[in-house]
Amino acid sequence: MNDKNIMESHMGTTAIKISARDVQVYYGDNHAIKDVSIDIEDKTVTAFIGPSGCGKSTFLRCLNRMNDTIDICKVTGSIRIDDEDIYDRRVDPVQLRAKVGMVFQKPNPFPKSIYDNVAYGPRIHGLAQNKADLDEIVERALRRGAIWNEVKDRLQSPGTGLSGGQQQRLCIARAVATEPEVLLMDEPCSALDPIATAQVEELIDELRQSFSVVIVTHSMQQAARVSQKTAFFHLGNMVEYGETGQIFTTPQDPRTESYITGRIG
Amino acid sequence: MSTTSLLVIAILILATLGYFLASKRAISTAGGDRRKLHSLPVYYGSNAAMFTAIPALGVLLIWLLAQPMLVERNILSTIPDKLIPEGSSIGLVMSDVRRVADGLEVVVNTGTLSQNETLKLDTEQTDIRALLAGVGAAVGSDVQPEVLEAAQNYRAQTKMGQLWMVLIIVPLALIGFALSVLAAKPTFRARNTVERGILALLVLAASLAILTTIGIVFSMLFESINFFKLHPWTDFFFGGSWAPNFRGDSDLSILPLLWGTIYISIIALIVAVPVGLFAAIYLSEYASPRVRAFAKPLLEILAGIPTIVYGLFALLTVGPALVRVFGRGEEGLLGLEWMSGATAVLTAGLVMGIMLIPFVSSLSDDIINAVPQSLRDGSLGLGATPSETIRQVVLPAALPGIVGAVLLAASRAIGETMIVVLGAGAIAKFSANPLEAMTTITTRIVSQLTGDTDFASPETLVAFALGLTLFVLTLGLNVIALYIVRKYREQYD
Repeated sequence: MNDKNIMESHMGTTAIKISARDVQVYYGDNHAIKDVSIDIEDKTVTAFIGPSGCGKSTFLRCLNRMNDTIDICKVTGSIRIDDEDIYDRRVDPVQLRAKVGMVFQKPNPFPKSIYDNVAYGPRIHGLAQNKADLDEIVERALRRGAIWNEVKDRLQSPGTGLSGGQQQRLCIARAVATEPEVLLMDEPCSALDPIATAQVEELIDELRQSFSVVIVTHSMQQAARVSQKTAFFHLGNMVEYGETGQIFTTPQDPRTESYITGRIG
Repeated sequence: MSTTSLLVIAILILATLGYFLASKRAISTAGGDRRKLHSLPVYYGSNAAMFTAIPALGVLLIWLLAQPMLVERNILSTIPDKLIPEGSSIGLVMSDVRRVADGLEVVVNTGTLSQNETLKLDTEQTDIRALLAGVGAAVGSDVQPEVLEAAQNYRAQTKMGQLWMVLIIVPLALIGFALSVLAAKPTFRARNTVERGILALLVLAASLAILTTIGIVFSMLFESINFFKLHPWTDFFFGGSWAPNFRGDSDLSILPLLWGTIYISIIALIVAVPVGLFAAIYLSEYASPRVRAFAKPLLEILAGIPTIVYGLFALLTVGPALVRVFGRGEEGLLGLEWMSGATAVLTAGLVMGIMLIPFVSSLSDDIINAVPQSLRDGSLGLGATPSETIRQVVLPAALPGIVGAVLLAASRAIGETMIVVLGAGAIAKFSANPLEAMTTITTRIVSQLTGDTDFASPETLVAFALGLTLFVLTLGLNVIALYIVRKYREQYD
């Protein structure tokens, strides 16, 4: 498939960042995630693929406890980040979400200026000592979001006035600004055109230097392009997990093969 | 049964007949095959009924409205001036004429006298007053010959008018009937015609509301113009005192009233906006669906309480409670002598604020709910607490809408009447002390128009000028509020 990816993943670190064991998720009576166990590596892009409704987004939202905001949702099993159980009573989900950033399917810039959008997280968490500090954090985040050159002259104009692709990169910059350790991306390109998608994908590849990135995607080409590891979900089960190249070339499970060849999904 | 109701029944029967004939004819011209028809047979029938009934009934309605006016004008010109007694007006004489004419009709209908006998009546020979009293029609004084003559004229002209009405409307209905039944052929697009008829109905309904508004404005405008002919406008807008005096020579300035109105409204908003907004935030962001399903309707019940009940609450509960706190000297809670009576700006303002709470909270709740969930997710996903999310993302996003809601609440506060009538007092003055009685524009309108009123004096007509000013004020606020709300809506849809 993609030789470069395979090579890189062999060379990359193999430190485990997130370790999930026997995770079950219930939405009321609906058993949405069944017995998922997975080890996600640090400084790696991990893609979750699978047909709609297979539970990949649900599982992603377990990793920063965004499911807590849904009343009827119940999560059991253990998810450990850096060997700390994130569903432990002592863990504050708010603190956790500062450590595990998230980018959503639809770009959702706040109705504030571009600067304030990026400065939102650092301000809340007190990351900056003074204005100059904050300016620097914002600039660094926007540079890492690959949008600095486009917006540096209009930091005070509203973030909602940008184009869709720019908005999504702004949201990525906003997530990056809080210095998370893990970045979760829930179909970040589904609302974007091919050019903006390419820009975001390039960005994801760069972000891998600093973060563990987990991306949910509907596009198998995208998973193949950006990820080193891929997990295939089907009907709430994690069917197969492995090197991206291996999943796409020699899948072990017949369901995986059917999906990537377009027979199911 | 009167000619009019017979006519209406006849038209409706004809329309029903048209309905069945047209749908039958449509089917038979299509050779019994419904598929060859452009529209369903129902539409051919409805079309026929529509064309039979609507033009005829429309003309009938206009006729009924116009005929009495025309007849009256004719009769009025024949009434000699000497008939009008001292201190009376031609209107009173005319109503006597009408009463005699109507009474004579009753006399004929009950069979006391025949039509010809009534026409030959003479005030010299018959006691018409007694005759009319016998059939239950009361006339104030003895009927004078001129009044009787006018009444006979009135009857004759009304009869003539009714005859013409029948002669015009019956053929109109028949023409509509014949044309629409003949038109019921497969090629005729009955469905489209009927739907255009329905469209016309909808347009009519929509324009009725607008026309009424325009009508209200004009009626106020004309009376206001009359007022300004009798009273200098500079005193009304720039004078300093409100002292109506029914013997004339009054001070009629809006400014003290406007001050009272605005002062009370501001107090009401100071109460209603924070409470309503906090309630809305709790309901939309924190409350579980169960609590919300229970609390929201409960809060909205407040909006269903008639304002006069709030007024009683102000007068009997809030006012005395305030007096106990701020008044009564040594016997009061604070030992103060600041407040002497229960009616005060603060009383009315507080109660009006309570009245506005559900209004503000319900509107703000809708607006806060309209903020997309994705913004909340984005903020929570960055590690913000729910409270930070609300303060920094949800409320700023909802702010224009909330401002709109507050302005709508303000325009309600300005127009509110019953609470201030009972709670605020009746003294027009400029004062910054919220514990004093003051009065508002609406209460003065009420007091200027209750009791014996003479619509030619500035003391009465001032009510219309006040009303018009109030209308312009609240209209302005509403326009600004709706503009802001709409601008906000465009941001997310």
